[in-house]
Amino acid sequence: MLETLANLGLGFSVALSPPILFYAFVGCVVGTLVGVLPGVGPLAGISLLLPATFGLDATRAIVMLAGIYYGAMYGGSTTSILMRIPGEAASVMTCIDGYAMARKGRGGAALAIAAVGSYIAGTVSVVGLMFLAPPLAAFALRFGPPEYLALLLLGLFVLAYMSSGSMLKSLAMASFGLLLGMVGIDQMSGYFRFAYGVVELGDGLGVVPVAVGLFGVAEILATAGQATPPQVVKPRLRELLPSRQEWRESAAPIGRGTVLGFLIGILPGSAHIISSFVSYAVEKRMSKHPEQFGQGAVAGVAGPESANNSATSGAMVPMLALGVPSGPIPAVMLAAMMVHGVSPGPLLIQQQPELFWGFIASMYVGNVVLLILNLPLVGLFVNILRVPYPYLYPAILVFSILGVYAVNGSVVDVWIMLIMGVLGWVLRKLSFETAPVVLGVVLAPMIELSLRQSLAMSDGHYAIFLQRPIAAVLLGVGLLLVLLNLYSFVRRGLDWRARLALAEKGEET
Amino acid sequence: MRARRLAGIAVALALFVPHLAVAQESYPSRPITLVAPFPPGGVADLTARPVAAAMERVLKNPVGVVNKTGAAGAVGMQFVAASKPDGYTLLLALSSISIIPEADKIFDRQPAFTVDQFAPIALISADPTILVVRAESPWKTARDFIDDAKKRSGQISYSSSGIYGTLHMAMELLSHAAGIKLRHVPHAGAGPALTAILGGHVDALASGPAVVLPHIKAGKLRALAGWGDKRVAALPDVPTFKELGYPDAEFYIWAGLFAPRGTPEPVLARLREATRAAVAEPDFKSAMDKLETPIVFKQGDEFQRFFDADARRLAAGVRKVGRIEDKK
Amino acid sequence: MTTERVSGVALALLALAVLEEARRLKLPLGTLATPGPAYMPALLALALLLAGVLIVALGRDATTLGAAGWHEWRHTLAIVIVCAFVALALERLGYRLTIALACAFLLGVVERKGLVATFLFSVGMAAGTYYLFDTLLRVQLPRGPFGL
Repeated sequence: MLETLANLGLGFSVALSPPILFYAFVGCVVGTLVGVLPGVGPLAGISLLLPATFGLDATRAIVMLAGIYYGAMYGGSTTSILMRIPGEAASVMTCIDGYAMARKGRGGAALAIAAVGSYIAGTVSVVGLMFLAPPLAAFALRFGPPEYLALLLLGLFVLAYMSSGSMLKSLAMASFGLLLGMVGIDQMSGYFRFAYGVVELGDGLGVVPVAVGLFGVAEILATAGQATPPQVVKPRLRELLPSRQEWRESAAPIGRGTVLGFLIGILPGSAHIISSFVSYAVEKRMSKHPEQFGQGAVAGVAGPESANNSATSGAMVPMLALGVPSGPIPAVMLAAMMVHGVSPGPLLIQQQPELFWGFIASMYVGNVVLLILNLPLVGLFVNILRVPYPYLYPAILVFSILGVYAVNGSVVDVWIMLIMGVLGWVLRKLSFETAPVVLGVVLAPMIELSLRQSLAMSDGHYAIFLQRPIAAVLLGVGLLLVLLNLYSFVRRGLDWRARLALAEKGEET
Repeated sequence: MRARRLAGIAVALALFVPHLAVAQESYPSRPITLVAPFPPGGVADLTARPVAAAMERVLKNPVGVVNKTGAAGAVGMQFVAASKPDGYTLLLALSSISIIPEADKIFDRQPAFTVDQFAPIALISADPTILVVRAESPWKTARDFIDDAKKRSGQISYSSSGIYGTLHMAMELLSHAAGIKLRHVPHAGAGPALTAILGGHVDALASGPAVVLPHIKAGKLRALAGWGDKRVAALPDVPTFKELGYPDAEFYIWAGLFAPRGTPEPVLARLREATRAAVAEPDFKSAMDKLETPIVFKQGDEFQRFFDADARRLAAGVRKVGRIEDKK
Repeated sequence: MTTERVSGVALALLALAVLEEARRLKLPLGTLATPGPAYMPALLALALLLAGVLIVALGRDATTLGAAGWHEWRHTLAIVIVCAFVALALERLGYRLTIALACAFLLGVVERKGLVATFLFSVGMAAGTYYLFDTLLRVQLPRGPFGL
């Protein structure tokens, strides 16, 4: 413990030195900007700025890239809350309740809660990273395809809690989303599925164009033509900050989101996207007023936003402790380290203490910087809503197209966004929810790959899922949840019949 | 009358010819785009950037790297194959350039591009792959591994970066050369493949040396043999499969510079010259050293021979693998 | 002609189309022990088919197709056309020109704002975002004729 504090002291001395501080600041600002822009997420941001780091030394490069990563998580909530456009894929859930809060005039409060929640999650998760990195990383490595499949199936079950409307319709949308995720090259056999000769579809539709299209573009298509422009209650300065009631409501979700996000972030894969979905579902399940979700529930903003921030720290755990990338973003950061001659590996923490502890300390500093950056900007951002809608929506469209195009430099992505936008508009008219589609697109390729990998590992025997302890436990938990829900479902059904019988009896007498 | 017209034509020509000459000499006069068909942070990307930087210094002209990712490199490669052959769009390709068209053929697909749509400029690096297993596994030498694989056919598993990918083809070449059957568990990229073996979910991995070297040094992985012509400099005790008696198991994850076919000869010559100067630069050398990637520079006929031999090997390998779905 | 019936039927038809496409593309199904590339799509298509049928059968929402409120469809169509134009023209006309034209159309024709406002907004949007991305973030945006 004492040694850790001493190391942390070393770290702070590195992190607070002006050059490092400067690069952390630059990273945070760029990250916020990248997060605010629709579509351009942290991966795109880091990839774009990777070349710019080649002239710097390793610590500065890593500090700046990490700043972009968690900065993007702060910024991503801004457009989600104010305009229902996901700043990046992990902010999709914030669009739902965050935008509802903005419509009610509580946009400033939502932004503030998102910022504070992100700060708390970011800082607490760095503590976790500091103390628990090696053992957690070893645990994370034990997650192979079977464990991953069990976890993803649990995540699929989360879909049941995402719906505020008809469960059947949500399940239909989930199936649709999962089907959309099947487009692309099949990693196990090499077949091109449903790509019809368009090489760019080889990696699938891409969650970014789908999310921006289904949420952002669809929103514009639905609202732009309305005779009366959307009435946004314009709040006064005092009303910009959350009320005491709202703070109370957000405390527990922030805590839960932090823990959940961190744990999910450690696991390999594009986990940080899932963390916000899972957090939303957990909050809805644990809330005393689940019917508020979708209407502007504070927990629906606080939970997911905290989760996606602590997932970023979680993602760094395997990277720093073992030199193993748990996803595309840590992979880029590992590459940045390699380019600077730092060889990432299990001995990184021992061999490069200044890098590791300087990095940790800079994350603390960065989170503070971002909080200071974001809170005052709340007032500024909310004023964006005052811009008359006929001017606002073309601007949003331009940014959305730009953001989606910038990710891969591919016009195909813009087409996907447009088609999903039209689809999202139609689905809204037919009162279908679109969030399950995005979750489906994200989960489908991972679920299928994990299943087939597991079967390849075991030569076709399904028993592998029961033979491995972690997978068996996760599946057991999932089964338990399914049974519990079936039970309450059946009970409600019986209740309904009983009441109907009573009513009929009452009519007869 | 006629004389005046002739004079007019002569003057026009006279004005035109210097323009042509200037146009020829003035390559490059615009920024050059080097397309890296892999995501940032990957091997191709990390090789492309020092190359671009060095060439920029040599040509005294901006050379920018653009990542066009997708379909294991097919998107970027198709893009360059279809672009104007004026020398302003170049490709840094990995050995998968020979694999992808073959894979397309066996699936009866319209190939995204073909190898002869490119004019090779130079080979920059050629990393031999090495076979690694976990440190706790019972195989101490490659011989142990192969013998065990013969005994327990199809039981030993290995991960790869994807079907028909470089790491998969390396293992396939070994399997055919040694007459063994291994169990393939494809993953979505080299990173997940490495994670899989570190976590003990698969038994073996064919990997470029740079990525696994830290883990070997830390005692987590053990290198058994290499697919190269010579031993890997950083691992002098690790034999090559050639030495062990499997000369057909030769595979390199190489990176080379290409231009679209049809690029004028003078432009190509200029580029070859520039690349030769670029790889000799000390800055470039140190950048590649940091990546633990040895520079293997081949040009002209030498590169063509290397490329053709490699392409033949890989095409045969892909055809032997065939469509795995058909083999069930 | 309720929304539920229409959407349910549409989903069911989509599911059938997917199954047919998988067959037409000759994607192998594989077995339960070794699922092929068509396995999961087929399962999901069946699930979607079931969901579609159930929605038609059990749907209690009685809103008719017309009552769902489509009156802004002309506006929506205009925006969709503009976006399609952008997608088509982006790499041919270059970024700045395309965006300027798109904004000009949206503001001038669809929203009927004044000439000056339209011009300022369109040019400002095109140039400003180009600067932001090209110079600051170093994203290569396509250039069209006249280097635009």
